[in-house]
Amino acid sequence: MEPIVLAPPAPGKVEDLKRRFFATPLQALVSLICLAIMVFLAWKLLDWAIFSAVFTVTGGPEACQAAAGACWSVIAARWRIILFGLYPFEEQWRSALACVTVVVMTVLSCIPAFWTGRRIALVWGAGAALFYGLMKGGVLGLPYVGEEAWGGLALTLFIFVTTCLIGFPLAICLALLRRSELPWISRTTGLIIDGVRSLPLISILFTFAIVLPFALPQWLVGDKLYRVIVGSALFFSAYQAEIVRGGMQGVPAGQEEAAMALGMSYWQRIGRIVLPQAMRNALPATINQFVISFKETSLVVIVGFFEILASGNAAYGTGEWRFAYVEVYAFIAFIYFIFVFSLSRYGAFLERRMAVGER
Amino acid sequence: MSTNKSNGPAVRIENVDKHYGTFQALRKVNLSVERGERIVVCGPSGSGKSTMIRCINRLEQHNGGKITVLGTELNDDVANIDGIRREVGMVFQHFNLFPHMTVLENLTIAPMIVRKVARAEAEVTARRYLDKVRIPEQAMKFPGQLSGGQQQRVAIARALCMQPQIMLFDEPTSALDPEMISEVLDVMVTLASEGMTMICVTHEMGFARKVADRVVFMDAGEIVEEAPPEEFFTASRNERTRQFLSQVPGH
Repeated sequence: MEPIVLAPPAPGKVEDLKRRFFATPLQALVSLICLAIMVFLAWKLLDWAIFSAVFTVTGGPEACQAAAGACWSVIAARWRIILFGLYPFEEQWRSALACVTVVVMTVLSCIPAFWTGRRIALVWGAGAALFYGLMKGGVLGLPYVGEEAWGGLALTLFIFVTTCLIGFPLAICLALLRRSELPWISRTTGLIIDGVRSLPLISILFTFAIVLPFALPQWLVGDKLYRVIVGSALFFSAYQAEIVRGGMQGVPAGQEEAAMALGMSYWQRIGRIVLPQAMRNALPATINQFVISFKETSLVVIVGFFEILASGNAAYGTGEWRFAYVEVYAFIAFIYFIFVFSLSRYGAFLERRMAVGER
Repeated sequence: MSTNKSNGPAVRIENVDKHYGTFQALRKVNLSVERGERIVVCGPSGSGKSTMIRCINRLEQHNGGKITVLGTELNDDVANIDGIRREVGMVFQHFNLFPHMTVLENLTIAPMIVRKVARAEAEVTARRYLDKVRIPEQAMKFPGQLSGGQQQRVAIARALCMQPQIMLFDEPTSALDPEMISEVLDVMVTLASEGMTMICVTHEMGFARKVADRVVFMDAGEIVEEAPPEEFFTASRNERTRQFLSQVPGH
């Protein structure tokens, strides 16, 4: 029989490292080799990205090609194309302000103090008007810029935000319809959701951008950008509807019964009792869906929109900077990272906040 | 509501049937409850007692017969049903408090959005009922932070905040730890003494003896026996009732 041993007192940091990585000579050797590889890789990366890199534009592409490290001068020379795409050069400050508008209104609507119907409506109403006025112009002496010239980060943000803005309410509607007690409603909705989910996003975008104009009456066609957004919102809502429905299934039937017994109407029960709890259940999957949708905006390039990734391609693809594509992609990856990472952290904040009432 | 002033019994159940697929949960049930009357419904599990009281506020729909509550017949008319539900409070076995709201919000939400009472007024009423169920200090907590007995008292207060004319209790103490049962029953006894019309499905025979005007015994979807408590416990006429009573402690 093994003797019962009391746990030793917790070791110090150095003791702990020693025990985990240098317990035996072989383990120590493996640890050292791994450490050496990591240091080597980190050094190479830093050397490339910073120490041997070229940051100034003055030398032009030639100075870059001579250097051993990264060529950040391509960003310095081309950042406007990456961020604003084909938007007219003199008007690009409008596109920049529009991006700031989207970020500000998103941040504002993420703050719990703004979670009343009136405040949210105010933020989004004012934000949308401001964004639209800035981007499209034609008012207050701003020259008109058509949607076909929109591009870069502003376009990426616009497509993402409008997709979510249309897709999310649509998803809730679909989820509620699928829960309907009338079989023909729930089955039809199920068929629509499953149908849309079975199609690749690219084919939906293609259909909405290219095929739909032949099928729709002229007054309903609208600009290609809005058709694409509707298509991507439909795709978003099909997935999100199932996430919301899953969240609703996690709400005990007794909750709705209690609300009924208090005389609440259907919409009061859904809006005040079922959905708030369902969304809490569905939050991790919902954040996931938002992150995926943000990255999927890059697919609109196939129907001819220059969102940020396509603009990046254009930024290095014009000859003199052709060699510097890694730097451009690293820059774009960094921008994606900022947005997606903030989204994830916000999701974590919401989870902590909503956990208050749990236990 | 116009039914407030109407005469006649609070609840009248006539020849009511209820099916779940091929299973018949209620068979030609007849029961009339006068205003201010306190009824205790008991019976073995699966006998249809919960189904019956859930039909009274239409959480279940009856398939045959007629149910009239406060002079209004229950049918498919949604406005009717919502009107009835405003006047009929219900307390559930598993409390069913709203976990995402504080105790105070649980108590004020229905008066505010259903009865359109102003927030300040709803909160005054809510605090009065929290006093009454003896947990005024828990108003800002979430249901998950309370004990079972406290949660059930909040649930009673929540129903009372709607100022109902009838209260339905569906096994309110069955999910509680033994030491918490009495604190809930005490509240119910107080409520009974104030003249509330009450229909309680419960196995607490001590409670039945103390407050019930009539005890109703159900088995296999039928009302088998109906009698004042003294008579019910000492001189039940039916074999099934006697058998049931011999298995239930506390009478």
